Amino acid sequence: MTDVVGHVPASEEEIARLRGRIDRLETESRRAFDDAQREADALFAQYQLSQLLASGGSLGELATAVVMELVRLSGAEAGAIWLGERGWAVLTRAAWVGPGADARSPAQLGGLDAARSWSASDERCTGLVLDEEPPTFLAVWASDAQPLDTEGLRVAQLARHELGVAFAGARLREALERERHDLAAIVDSATDLILQVDEERRVLRLNPAGETLLGASLLEAAGRTCAEVLGCDVAGGHREADCPLAEVLASGAPIAYRETALRGRQGDAVWVAGSYTWSVGEAADGFAGGARTATAILRDINAVRALEQLREGFVATVSHELRTPLALIRGYADTLLHLELDAATERSYVERIHQVTDRLAALVTQILDVTRLDADPLVLERAPASFAALVARLRGDLALTGEDGRLVVDVPADLPPVEVDSGRIGQVLENVVANALKYAPDETPVVIGAAVEGDWLVATVDDDGIGIPEAERRLVLEPFHRAGNVRESRIPGTGLGLYICRRLIEAHGGELRIADRPDGRPGTRISFSLPLLPNRGRAVGGEAEPRSAGSGRPPESVGG
Amino acid sequence: MPAESTVRPPTPTGAAADPIVDARAVRDYLARARRIVTRHAAYLTRLDAVLGDGDHGDNLVIGFRAVEAILDELPPDTRPGELLQAVGHRLVAAVGGASGPLYGTAFIEAGFRAGDADTLDPTILSDMLAVAADGLGRRGRCAVGDKTILDALRPAADAFARVVGAGGSPAQAVIAAELAARDGMRSTRALVARRGLALRLGERSAGHLDPGAVSCFLLVRALALR
Repeated sequence: MTDVVGHVPASEEEIARLRGRIDRLETESRRAFDDAQREADALFAQYQLSQLLASGGSLGELATAVVMELVRLSGAEAGAIWLGERGWAVLTRAAWVGPGADARSPAQLGGLDAARSWSASDERCTGLVLDEEPPTFLAVWASDAQPLDTEGLRVAQLARHELGVAFAGARLREALERERHDLAAIVDSATDLILQVDEERRVLRLNPAGETLLGASLLEAAGRTCAEVLGCDVAGGHREADCPLAEVLASGAPIAYRETALRGRQGDAVWVAGSYTWSVGEAADGFAGGARTATAILRDINAVRALEQLREGFVATVSHELRTPLALIRGYADTLLHLELDAATERSYVERIHQVTDRLAALVTQILDVTRLDADPLVLERAPASFAALVARLRGDLALTGEDGRLVVDVPADLPPVEVDSGRIGQVLENVVANALKYAPDETPVVIGAAVEGDWLVATVDDDGIGIPEAERRLVLEPFHRAGNVRESRIPGTGLGLYICRRLIEAHGGELRIADRPDGRPGTRISFSLPLLPNRGRAVGGEAEPRSAGSGRPPESVGG
Repeated sequence: MPAESTVRPPTPTGAAADPIVDARAVRDYLARARRIVTRHAAYLTRLDAVLGDGDHGDNLVIGFRAVEAILDELPPDTRPGELLQAVGHRLVAAVGGASGPLYGTAFIEAGFRAGDADTLDPTILSDMLAVAADGLGRRGRCAVGDKTILDALRPAADAFARVVGAGGSPAQAVIAAELAARDGMRSTRALVARRGLALRLGERSAGHLDPGAVSCFLLVRALALR
C-alpha cells in the first residue's frame, strides 16, 4: 500500500476507497482471529473433556464428572444424565448437578423417544442423545441470566462418540469388576484348597482355605514350585515324578479324582482328595493362546480316612464279637442234636444257650445304639428334668432284680432341674451304675452323688471295684476297648457301654470322666456333667432360654 | 513450598528506582520462572497425584526448558510482546496436560497486549496481567472458586491493578500481586473442584491445594524475585 500512496497522488475518492478496503480487511482479519480463538477454545474444551473421559473411574464418578463438565461447557445452571442397559428401553438417572436438578430430572425415562419429548416440553431444557445403544441421554437447563453456550453444546455433540465409548468402558469395567469380585468370593470362601500353578508348576494363586491348610500365605507361596509349597513327596503323597499337576499340564487331560498327601501347617501329613484341571491363560494380545495353567481343588480327607479306619475296625470287631457267641450256640446246639445226653446235662446246655443268646441280644442292642450315635445329627429330645427322679426310676428298675440294695443315693434334695433327654441320660445312668455293680465285689455299695458347678450338674458314681488303670482311662471311652484287668476278670462285656455313655453326654454338651475315688479308697469314680435348665428360678417345665456364651463350657475338673 | 521469609512487605515509599521493564527484563523473568518451577517440580507433581494425573511439575519443567530454547533462538532485539507470544505458543505445544494451553494462552494474551512496545510501563503491565487472567478463564471456562490456576492469577492481577491505579510503583504492585496470589492459592485447599480431572473426585477434592494454583503462585512470585 505504501507503493500506491508513495507514487500516485491520491484523490479524495481513492483515499476513501482505500480506507474502506482497509476497514474491510481489518474486520475480516478480526473475524478470522475471533474464529481462530473460538476454534482454539472449542479444541481445548474437547481436549479437557477427552482427558476426563480417559481418566477412568467408576460409572457413577464418570457420570457425575461428565454432567459437571457439560453443564459448565454449555453455560447451563443444571444438568442430569441418564444411562440405559443394552437392549432395555428404560433409562435410569445416573448423575445430576446444579440447583433444582434433582427435582427437575425424573429418576427414570421410558426410552430415548420419551426422553426427547420430555426435554422438549420444558423450554429451558435442552436434551442431547449421547448414544443410542446402550441409550445415554443428557439434559441441561439454561439459567435465567444467560442462554446456553452453543459452542459448548457443539463440543458436547462432537464428543458424543467419545462419551459413548467412555460410558461403555466404565460399564464394562464395572461388570468385569463385579464378575471378578463374584469369582474371587467363590474361590476365597471355598473350604477346599484351590491352588493354581503355571507351566513350570510355580504357584500363581492359593485361596485362604489353602493358606490355612498349608500354614503358608500366598505371598510366601507365590513363585515357588508346587513341590516346595505342598510337600507331597515328604508327606508321603506321591513322588515328585508322579505330580498330578505335571501330569495334567503334560497330557492336557483333567484328573477328576485323586487322593494324595501334602504337608500341613504343623508339618504333618494331610491326606487330600480332589480334581486337577488345566486351562489356557489369556495372552497379552487378549486372545486365548497364552501360557497354560493347572489348578488343583483339594479337600482335607484326614477325618474321612480316620472315620473309614474306625469303621473298618468296628466292622472287624463287631463280626468277631458276634461270631464268638454264635459259635458257642452252634456248638451247644450241635451237641444237643447229635449226642444222647442225660437230662441234667441237656438242661445245662440249653441254659447256656439261653445265657449266650441274652449276651448276643445285648450286644446287638448296643451296636444299634452306636450306629444311631454315628447318625448325624444325633437328635435329643431335651426337656426340663429332675436328676433325683432319674435316680429314683433307676432304683425302681434295680428293685426288680433285687440289686437295689447296693445302691446308695447321696443326692441333695434341692438340686435345680437339668435340661436333658431323659431317656438318653437314664440310659447313661443305668449303664454306669450297671458297670459299677458288675465290676465291684458283691455286697459293696455303689454311691450316686450330685453337685452343682456353675451352669452344670455334675453326677458321680463311685464303686469299690478293681479300678481302671490310668493309662487305659482314655481308651475305655472308645468303642470296643475294655481295660486289661477287666478282660482278665472274664466278666462279659462288649466294650461299647462307656463309649455310648460318653457320646450321649457329649451330645448334651457335657463331659464324662473317669477318675480315682476322692476318698482314696480303691475303686472308680465316673462323673458326668449335665446342663442345668437356664434361669433356675423357673419352675420345671418352663420355657428354656439359651445359655449365655460364657457358661457354655462344662467345668474343667469334675469328680476330683 | 515457597518460603515465606523471603516475602518482603511493601514499603510506603516504593522502590527507589524501578527497573525499566524491557525485553531483557522479560527474559530474566522467564529464566527465574524456569528456576522456581524446576525447584518445586516434585512438590507440584505430588499435589497433582492427588487431584489430577500426577504430572504437573514434570510438565512445567519440560515446558520451561522448551521456553529457554526458544528464547535462545529469538534475536536479541525481539520485543517483549513478541517474546511472550512465542513463549506462549511454545508452552501450548510443549506441555502435556491442560496447563500448557492454559498458561500458553495467558502468555499469548499478555504478549498481544504488550504489542510492539519496547518497554512496558505499569499500566501496560497491569493490563497484561488482566488480559492473561481473562484469556485463561475463557479458555479454561473457569471462574474464581473453581479450584484452578485462576484462583491465584485473578487476585494477583486485581491486586497489581489496584496498586498501580493508586499510584504505586511496579515493585509495590508486584509484591501485592504475590501476596494476593498466595492467599488465592491457599484458598483452593477448601474448595471442591469444578474443572479438570479433579471433577472425578467430587467432594473428596476438598482438603488439597490445587497444583495449578500453586504453580501460578510460583510464576507470580518469580515476578517479585530478582
